[in-house]
Amino acid sequence: MTTTLTAADAAPTGLETSGASGASGRRPRRRRGSSASDPVGGVGASILLWGYAVLALAPLVIMVLNSFRTNADFITNPLGLPTSPTVAAYKEAWTVGSFGTYFVNSLAVTAGAVAISTAVSTMAAYGLARSRARIFRWIESLFLSGLMLPIHLAILPVFFLFDGFGLIDSRLGLALMYAAAGVPFSIFVLTTFFRQLPEELEEAAVLDGASPWQTFWRIMVPMVRPALATVAVFRFVPIWNDFLYPLVLLRSESKYTLPVGLTNFFGENATNYSALFAGLVITTIPLIVLFLFATKQIVAGLTAGMSK
Amino acid sequence: MKTRTGLAFLAPALILFGVFVLYPMLTAFSYAFFEWQGTSRQGFAGLSNFSALVNRAPFKTDLPTALLHNVLFFVGTMLVQNTIGLSVATLLHRRARTRRMLQTLYAMPYLVSPIVIGYLWTLLLSPTFGPVNQLLTKIGLEQFALPWLGDPKTALWVVILVSVWQWVGFPVLLYGAALGGVPEELTEAARVDGASHGQVFRKITFPLLIPAIGTVSVLTFIFAMEAFALPFAFGGSTGNPAGSTDFVSLLFYRSAFDSGAVDAIGTSSALATVLFLIIFGGAMAATKVLRRHERRMAS
Amino acid sequence: MTQRTRRSTFTLIAFTGVLAVAACAPSSDNDTKGSGDGGDAKATTLTVWSWRVEDEAAYNKIFDAYEAKHEGITVEFKPFKATEYNKVLATGLAGSDGPDVPQVRSYGQVEPTIASKSLVPLDGKVDLSGWDENVVNSAKSKADGKLYSVPLARQTVQMFYNKGLFEKNGISEAPKTWADFTAAGDKLLAGGVTPIAVGAKDDWTLPIVHEVLAAPRFGGAAFQEEVLTGKKSFTDPNFVASIDVFKQLAKYFPKNVTGVAVTDAQTLFSAEKAAMFPGGSFDMAVLKKANPKIDLGVFEVPAPTGSPEDKATTPGWADGNFAVNAKSPNQEAALELVKWMSTKEFGQMVADEVKQISAVPGVTYNDPLLKQMADNYEKSPSPYLLLTDFRYGTPSGTDLMGKGAQQLLLGSKTAEQVAADIDTGVKAWFKPSS
Repeated sequence: MTTTLTAADAAPTGLETSGASGASGRRPRRRRGSSASDPVGGVGASILLWGYAVLALAPLVIMVLNSFRTNADFITNPLGLPTSPTVAAYKEAWTVGSFGTYFVNSLAVTAGAVAISTAVSTMAAYGLARSRARIFRWIESLFLSGLMLPIHLAILPVFFLFDGFGLIDSRLGLALMYAAAGVPFSIFVLTTFFRQLPEELEEAAVLDGASPWQTFWRIMVPMVRPALATVAVFRFVPIWNDFLYPLVLLRSESKYTLPVGLTNFFGENATNYSALFAGLVITTIPLIVLFLFATKQIVAGLTAGMSK
Repeated sequence: MKTRTGLAFLAPALILFGVFVLYPMLTAFSYAFFEWQGTSRQGFAGLSNFSALVNRAPFKTDLPTALLHNVLFFVGTMLVQNTIGLSVATLLHRRARTRRMLQTLYAMPYLVSPIVIGYLWTLLLSPTFGPVNQLLTKIGLEQFALPWLGDPKTALWVVILVSVWQWVGFPVLLYGAALGGVPEELTEAARVDGASHGQVFRKITFPLLIPAIGTVSVLTFIFAMEAFALPFAFGGSTGNPAGSTDFVSLLFYRSAFDSGAVDAIGTSSALATVLFLIIFGGAMAATKVLRRHERRMAS
Repeated sequence: MTQRTRRSTFTLIAFTGVLAVAACAPSSDNDTKGSGDGGDAKATTLTVWSWRVEDEAAYNKIFDAYEAKHEGITVEFKPFKATEYNKVLATGLAGSDGPDVPQVRSYGQVEPTIASKSLVPLDGKVDLSGWDENVVNSAKSKADGKLYSVPLARQTVQMFYNKGLFEKNGISEAPKTWADFTAAGDKLLAGGVTPIAVGAKDDWTLPIVHEVLAAPRFGGAAFQEEVLTGKKSFTDPNFVASIDVFKQLAKYFPKNVTGVAVTDAQTLFSAEKAAMFPGGSFDMAVLKKANPKIDLGVFEVPAPTGSPEDKATTPGWADGNFAVNAKSPNQEAALELVKWMSTKEFGQMVADEVKQISAVPGVTYNDPLLKQMADNYEKSPSPYLLLTDFRYGTPSGTDLMGKGAQQLLLGSKTAEQVAADIDTGVKAWFKPSS
């Protein structure tokens, strides 16, 4: 299977983790005086970088601003500012749209799916990184070919499968579906990380009499924490935003996730733009919070890698 | 590690993946070899569904165009996203204080669902009310106030650029990390020897970044060939205007569930199978090239 | 050696797993669950699926009335996102706990559902005699000629106009002749108003615009007959000329029209920057809500010069049909409900609550505009041809017209080329009768 895509070749090699703590990453910054460590591009580049940041943030800002406007105001001037801010739209979205229920469902399904998928993928990635038998290369290729499967094109067989299992209208079923769909990507990233860890660590643990599971859990998992954060965030976002699978696999409104609730809310309030934006803000805020926390983890890990 | 232990570690992922992804996907591929009456399966059809993709309208005319758009989407994204990602990562490299903040901001558009992105940019670029054209007119660049999403010449590029805008945070992060992995002794030694910034980048930094670029390329390829959400949000299922933003996944979407053809499941499954084979073949070829390059580097 | 044994053991396990899954995958039609209340006629819950999320309140009101008269029956209305509804319905009907009464597509787009044997034939169970033939055809299969659903609504397309803006620009009444129509356009242009708000970025609107502006030019119902029997094709000079009407009227459309989304076009109209909006009866509610101050009117666009018959028409079709799921455990109760949907009582409620033109004949309308649209269709109907007869395969007539009209407006194709594309496109699946 030498021709198959394997994580070893095409993996984010930059994501090295020396296992060093984030603190050591700060050391290089203190060096001054050498021209090589001055920012590239100077002030002009700074303006450019911040200018682009504004462009990147624009849609979020537009979303938030419009959610505080009245609908009449929005229709007359779609891109104006909220001259007299109001939270009426939020009240409406939260109560009329029953976003409270959807919110809890989304959180349970998404967090559950990410947890399951990350857990099984971490184990599998470790197994793949540390086994030499030929069958493992086959299995690895199988998983990686999963990266290329357009799974949303298989909605009909997925439905029949769930129907056969009695998993229609089950939040657990939905979470399992998402978890499975995330396995290839998670394994793709995590295998690389495990491969970069020196094997001496485990050899020492084995000499101390630790079982493979203990070695994995106590020594290896803590060392790939930044990678776990990366994988978790990258999987969390698309699951959180997806509405196709819940629409097809769920039946009861009490089990709907936010995007499904949102699409129904959209339909009922097609012309109530401010309420729509409020709904969107409610949907997006958890992602932003998660992202702010997780980038700290991810970037800390990356910085640690860079400081070598 | 012993094989048995290794398999034990792999078992949960294998079961989950096998049951919920591999099995339905293989079933979907098998659908391509049958005749269909709506959702009820009929007799074995051999390869007739596949030949329909080549011989029958709309596939005969739409599939080549859609595929071309997928390829353009890939090439365009590669060029623009890698250029921006690499430049921004280089510029950020020594800005210790603001780096993380900016990296986070650049990744923000990824959090917003593509449907909303499509809606907002359509609003911004609208020729009737859009502020982009109003601004261009105001600053005397009226000749550039184009009907962006209304002209087949620009619509595809708007889709590509907005997609880059949404995803550029990742190459920035990845290349940033990869740049951090370039040994400073190497670049500094070169600088001491009198090499310019540009020379250092071309001769030392860039070759070391090639594995990271390779990863981004393969993932971008898969992403571009499966492109659906953003084109759908911009041009609907028919790739407005005049099919200029049509993609293979959109063709699948409208022929699988939106048509009056009773054999839709057969032909659309054949389409899904072909799409997978293209992605698989492309990704394997890319990996092969990368591997050869790495070997050359190593020797 | 041991290695190989292990591997084959593993493969075996994997295989057994897959087989086990395969065994229970195709939905074993055990309808036991969900039908626990099937035996007890006193308490039956009927589920109705629909893509009309915006009409949920109206339907709940309608079904409350039904429940009040039918003891022990509860009707649960469940709407889904319109763009995903086809997927939800196809999977739902194939599975074991789908709806009892699904809202299904009309004309050609319901054929795949019928071919799946998912719907109960209604011949002899529901009486649609005296209904408009064009409407009834929406519920019949062309494959076996049987009736599979009860049409809900008649949609008509016509020109909406802003009476105030017309007066302000010296147009005293709705145009009666093609010359009046273009003269009105010129006056509005001179007055700095966009005469016709077209959203050509959304291709699906263009076949509708084509019908509104040029149905008489190709000959409406007479042409339908000829093209279905194979006497004429879409390359007929009259049909080509009808496409060319886009080109003639393009100066009255917004600038860069292929970049204008249909929502933009509606906003132009609501903001009183445009005087006319070619649209469907289903657009009325949206237009009224967006700017209630506009004095809204509708008219039939006069027949373009050179039309086979100098008579304006109101093109229309049926949609929103309801059917009975063949797998429903409550088929009798479901049938009863669908039967009720063919009564005048239901039709009247659709007119009053859902505010659509009911498919049931003889319904009256409180809303003067709705009444005018219904009356116009009654008086001078013509089929929305590309929808009623050319959506029985892929590529559909409407898709081809949408794309073709965009190419025409962009100047990349001529009306002849567009007509030829439509002709070759539909020939992929269309066989004339006779």
